[in-house]
Amino acid sequence: MSAMARASSSALARSERTEVPVIETAGVTKQYNAGKFTAVDDISLVFPKGQVTAFVGPSGCGKTTMLRMIAGLEDPTSGMISAYGAAVTGPGPDRGMIFQAYTSFPWLTARQNVEYGMKLLGVPESERRERALKLLDEVHLRDFTNSYPSELSGGMKQRVAIARTLAQNPGVLLMDEPFGALDAQVRWEMQEMMIGIFEQEQKTVIAVTHDIQEAIYLADRIVFFTRNPGRIKKDIPLDFKKGKRFARKEDMLLLPGYVETERQLFAWMREEIKKQ
Amino acid sequence: MNGAAQNVAHLPITTELTQPAKRPARHLFRLWRPVKGTTAALLGCLGFAAFLMVWQLGHYQTPAESQRFLPSPWQVITALNVLITEKGYLGDVAISIVRIFISFFAACAVSIPLALLMGCFAPVRAFLNPLISAARYLPAASFIPLLLVWFGPTDTQKLALLFLGVIFFLVALILDNVESVQKELIEAALTMGAKRRQIVGGVVFRAASPAIMDSMRNMIAVGWSYLVIAEIVAAQDGIGAVMMRAGRFLKVDIIMAGILTIGILGVLTDILFRLASYYVFPWNRKRSG
Repeated sequence: MSAMARASSSALARSERTEVPVIETAGVTKQYNAGKFTAVDDISLVFPKGQVTAFVGPSGCGKTTMLRMIAGLEDPTSGMISAYGAAVTGPGPDRGMIFQAYTSFPWLTARQNVEYGMKLLGVPESERRERALKLLDEVHLRDFTNSYPSELSGGMKQRVAIARTLAQNPGVLLMDEPFGALDAQVRWEMQEMMIGIFEQEQKTVIAVTHDIQEAIYLADRIVFFTRNPGRIKKDIPLDFKKGKRFARKEDMLLLPGYVETERQLFAWMREEIKKQ
Repeated sequence: MNGAAQNVAHLPITTELTQPAKRPARHLFRLWRPVKGTTAALLGCLGFAAFLMVWQLGHYQTPAESQRFLPSPWQVITALNVLITEKGYLGDVAISIVRIFISFFAACAVSIPLALLMGCFAPVRAFLNPLISAARYLPAASFIPLLLVWFGPTDTQKLALLFLGVIFFLVALILDNVESVQKELIEAALTMGAKRRQIVGGVVFRAASPAIMDSMRNMIAVGWSYLVIAEIVAAQDGIGAVMMRAGRFLKVDIIMAGILTIGILGVLTDILFRLASYYVFPWNRKRSG
């Protein structure tokens, strides 16, 4: 909880962020069916260190494909993706990924799950255990360290997966509709928890979401995708937040510019839906 | 709306119900409604009782001179008792159990790694799947002459038959289990930097293992059904051999005692696998309530 309190609307953290590109994509294109369908068309983006970007757009606009290519789970048909200056050729622990489906391993307890990634990195056991407990505390699962995922709710399973990803301390967090399967209340609790984590860990984040309010709340910048072929319709910084991140979601709602931003995104979404 | 309101106005206003409220009848055959545990147990016993009654009735209806071709349930139990106490039947039972378990676990030892590799690596699958799918259509019994020529009337021949009887189906079932592993678990491990070996053994196998255990439980039942076929030909011992000898002397009560034994052993094996699954995979237990 203290982490979240500290995170509350600190403009300082933002100003410290340098503009070193952590992820860069250049002319990335992804085609399926031997070129008959273009899911992602010639996308070039730069993601500076510490920036939280939301990919928003209608279903089938290629935003998830783009994210998966950055993760290294899919290869672009053409174009280049680089992470920390090196070409991405496959997945790696420098780019942690959180999925919509619950991916906490059912055969491991919450603590063992969080330790899994650290074990792959060769972190010694005592250090693993200590860090796992600290992270489980951070995602409010202190009382469930020895529970199996089958004993946890959906939100709790997702928090185990988040802690497991954070345990590897990746510079980049990729999130594919991470809260899409959760009910509304758990969803905003998780969003507020993530804000605390973004602030504390200074992650470069790319989050795919359908939820316009979630995108505005979490992100510093929104990349809006258009459909068939998947291109960038708009790439906008959320300047109305003045670099602040809000520990409480409702604190954002009365900010001048919030309603306009939300209306704008709805308008773009409606345009895209009409085109179909 | 208005009309309805007027109608209500005519009704007498009472604070108590004039007659006790009737619940809608709760009959047994509502769609998709589970039955209580006790009801289910009772129904199960009733099923057995009904079967025994039909059997007993059949026995009574059979003319006296041919009643020995349809002995009563009690006569079968008696025959079983005589077999055990006087004929050393438990030795035969033990031999059959050993045959089943050795051949079955040999089949598992081959099919689990094979199916795992087929499920994880498309070229291995493409190489083996057509062959194994085709082999499933070969009846195990058709291998008997071949195995007799190769191994003679030995234990090896029987084990080989039981092995061939389950192996192809086992591979197909386990391959299905492996392929049903949630794709995101593998991708999550990949993004954490897991290597191929760590994913095949540490994620895919772990995730599929309860389902694999279920497949094994189902296939060992098939193994039991091949037992008699394996022990019919050139066998001196085992449950099947006892039954075949009894057949030669038209001892139907002993044949039925053999069938009963295999049935009981089959059920016990099933329970054994369920228990093993419960204790080996504590993380997979269904939460009750």
